Amino acid sequence: MTLDDIARTLRDRNETRQPLSIKGGGTLGAMGTACIATAAIDLKKLNRLVAHEHADLTCSVQAGMTLSAFAKALAEGGQFVPLDAPVRSKATVGGTLAAGWLGPRRHRYGKPRDLAIGSQVVLADGTVANAGGMVVKNVSGYDMTKLYIGSFGTLGVITRANFKTMPLPRARRMLIAALPERSRDRALQQVAHLAAQPAMAVCVEGFGKAIAGEDGIDGRILLLFEGSPSYIERATRDSRSALGRAGVPETYIIDAGVEQQFERVLDACISETGERTMMYRSLGTPGSAQERATRLRDAANRRELFTDVLLDAMNGDVFLNVSERDARAFAQKIEACDDDLRAIDPCSVIVSGRAPIRASLDAWGKPPAAIEKMREIKARFDPNNILNPGRFVGGI
Amino acid sequence: MLLERLKEALGADAVKSEPEDLAVFSFDGYSQGRTPSAVVLPSSTRDAAAAVKIANDCGEPIVARGAGTGLCGGAVPAQGGIVFSFARMNRLLEVDVRNRRARVQPGLINLELSNRVASDGLFYAPDPSSQKACTIGGNIGTNAGGPHCLSYGTTVNHVLALEIVDSNGDVFEIGVDENGYDLTGVLVGSEGTLGMTTSAWVRLMRAPEAVRVWLAAFTDVESASAAVSAIIGAGLVPTALEMLDRLALEAVEAAFHAGYPTDAEAVLLVEGAGFEDDLNADEREIARIVKECGATSWRSARSQAERDALWAGRKGALGAAGLIAPNYYLQDIVVPRTKLPRALSVVNQACAERGLKTMNVFHAGDGNLHPLLMYDRSDTKQVGAVIDAGNEILKTAIDLGGTISGEHGVGLEKRDALAKIYSTDDLATMARVRDVFDPRRMLNPEKIFPAGVGCAEIPR
Repeated sequence: MTLDDIARTLRDRNETRQPLSIKGGGTLGAMGTACIATAAIDLKKLNRLVAHEHADLTCSVQAGMTLSAFAKALAEGGQFVPLDAPVRSKATVGGTLAAGWLGPRRHRYGKPRDLAIGSQVVLADGTVANAGGMVVKNVSGYDMTKLYIGSFGTLGVITRANFKTMPLPRARRMLIAALPERSRDRALQQVAHLAAQPAMAVCVEGFGKAIAGEDGIDGRILLLFEGSPSYIERATRDSRSALGRAGVPETYIIDAGVEQQFERVLDACISETGERTMMYRSLGTPGSAQERATRLRDAANRRELFTDVLLDAMNGDVFLNVSERDARAFAQKIEACDDDLRAIDPCSVIVSGRAPIRASLDAWGKPPAAIEKMREIKARFDPNNILNPGRFVGGI
Repeated sequence: MLLERLKEALGADAVKSEPEDLAVFSFDGYSQGRTPSAVVLPSSTRDAAAAVKIANDCGEPIVARGAGTGLCGGAVPAQGGIVFSFARMNRLLEVDVRNRRARVQPGLINLELSNRVASDGLFYAPDPSSQKACTIGGNIGTNAGGPHCLSYGTTVNHVLALEIVDSNGDVFEIGVDENGYDLTGVLVGSEGTLGMTTSAWVRLMRAPEAVRVWLAAFTDVESASAAVSAIIGAGLVPTALEMLDRLALEAVEAAFHAGYPTDAEAVLLVEGAGFEDDLNADEREIARIVKECGATSWRSARSQAERDALWAGRKGALGAAGLIAPNYYLQDIVVPRTKLPRALSVVNQACAERGLKTMNVFHAGDGNLHPLLMYDRSDTKQVGAVIDAGNEILKTAIDLGGTISGEHGVGLEKRDALAKIYSTDDLATMARVRDVFDPRRMLNPEKIFPAGVGCAEIPR
């Protein structure tokens, strides 16, 4: 579909009040409540990098471009936009923005909302609305782009986005270490105090071979460093001695294929095995992550579900994968487990899982305090409720 | 009736109504609005909410105000009404060192936050030049920037959560990481037209291990701006990259003796932060680029004291402008960074043609120009020339693919210019958000939106 097609389709469907779903790469399709729609807006034809103003460090990209293709095109000019979402070969720029997916390097480079400097959106009535521009600093009116990011397509269809770009790091290195018994707490504390801050720091427990490295009793830790070669050397020395102080004897270095290993971490956040697993995401402060992770994991284990845990030490995210050996056993246990998990973090969300039971669980948990204001915004932007109806938090 | 009710709710000393008090609150750094009916000084969120309800009952518009240092008329009461000053809500409520964040009241002074968390090795990144006076609440209203936004981003990138009093006097909380729409992202920079901030969680950053400040002098501004484009184009992003032209250098040196050369036509003030090794490499690379672009001198500040003096001079430049002419008009435009040389030459020509002196001191690395047009307010011909040149400067920014404000805001000053960069549809889309938060247009009326936008929808 072209921009005109999209605008026309929306106008027609709006007049006849027929709901639509909006389709990117489908990688985060399990997020949110399934919505009833008889047709979809497909953005895969809008897949071009419209502009890469290399010397200005800005770019403009159509929403249907995959993250891989986007990254490749920018890399030709030695730059990147750190949109870290799972399955980059399929995930699109528009879908990643609509989902507001938060990646592990955001503490360093910013969230999608911090990287986007402009947008083009088609509203429910077919209006094409532009916001922001191609400059890195802009306070000309409301920053509408931020409203669309993370709105799950419920306010409009993002058709194009402008970003700040960054020079690609000159060097990258991943450090991996198995964590011996009772070393994780101390390892996390040490990492928090590193002068050479990692671009990504995650503690993993489980996930088998989906993520590099092997678990010790306390799982494993993966650190990603990005910067100049001398920065990487310094970071390696500092991290090894810091982890040593935490009782971690050995650290492995990965220099070749860092990108693949990094992508495996991203992909693991929505890993799913048919109808017998589900992934929860709990956001919070880095300081609370370890306790949250333990409580969530223990709650699932008490319901006799298997668990894998990924803890983002820099941002505080906890991903908890709960699973059973077969779909039937999973279906029997998950509802009670879901209640327990939501009691620990009422705002945790389900990010992947295809079990039929999924439909009876609340995808979003407790609505935010300002939910009424959000409903009013939805009503102003999409009065006939045709855009991804019901998919978002609070039934928006 | 209004005054009695406000005094009853907030206490007599929290309500100002003497003419001399009211006059002070009719100004900001740009212009004068109407005299407000009253000024209230809430001590708590509850006070603020109560005063909003009373204002509503009495049909009075509401203008929330920080320190009044704004430069676009954003804080002036365009229709009178009640001005909310947050001078009494100026506390640092909580510092969470482990998670690098702080909860503050809106009246807390920007620099004070950084000073108070410095002992924990932290700082608050947005640093407008007025940071000794301006408040976090005002910064949130305007999405304030500053020299260090080049690498750290503006206020919106550093606000984590807000407590807001809305136009009905209801209190609600929003946060960037909660499920739902990013209301924080829209509230920041909305210039008090969507609600008023009564407390905020902001992000703190860890102080870098090493900081260096470099100075490069040039014999013309074109070479200096070419050097800026070349530095950014080479993929080097210093923490700050500022330019001062000859007039700015003269004024700053006369006022502060900060250590800038006065025989140069333009100087770049460059700051790098991080690790020594990286800074050594950056220093070599930047030195090479500026020399290739024709820098006549290049040096690194030798001490913390020298660095502080250079920054004090830079941040005091607006004050120093008073030495050049009785009045100045400060513009704030942004262009794509490669367009900087072109933008600067058009700006200077537009002023020269009209017989106006200009002083340029600005965030070159962001493409954010701040020409100061020097004039004498008592000379009506000069005033006309300034208005004329100002319009041409805005037009230049738009023609070059830029925007009409990078960090000062739209306020009263640029509301009509907004229609030049956005279509009616674009503006009407923004107005949909306003309709939700302030359907009666009682919050800071006559700001941001060009006259007429979205008015048809307002139920009166």
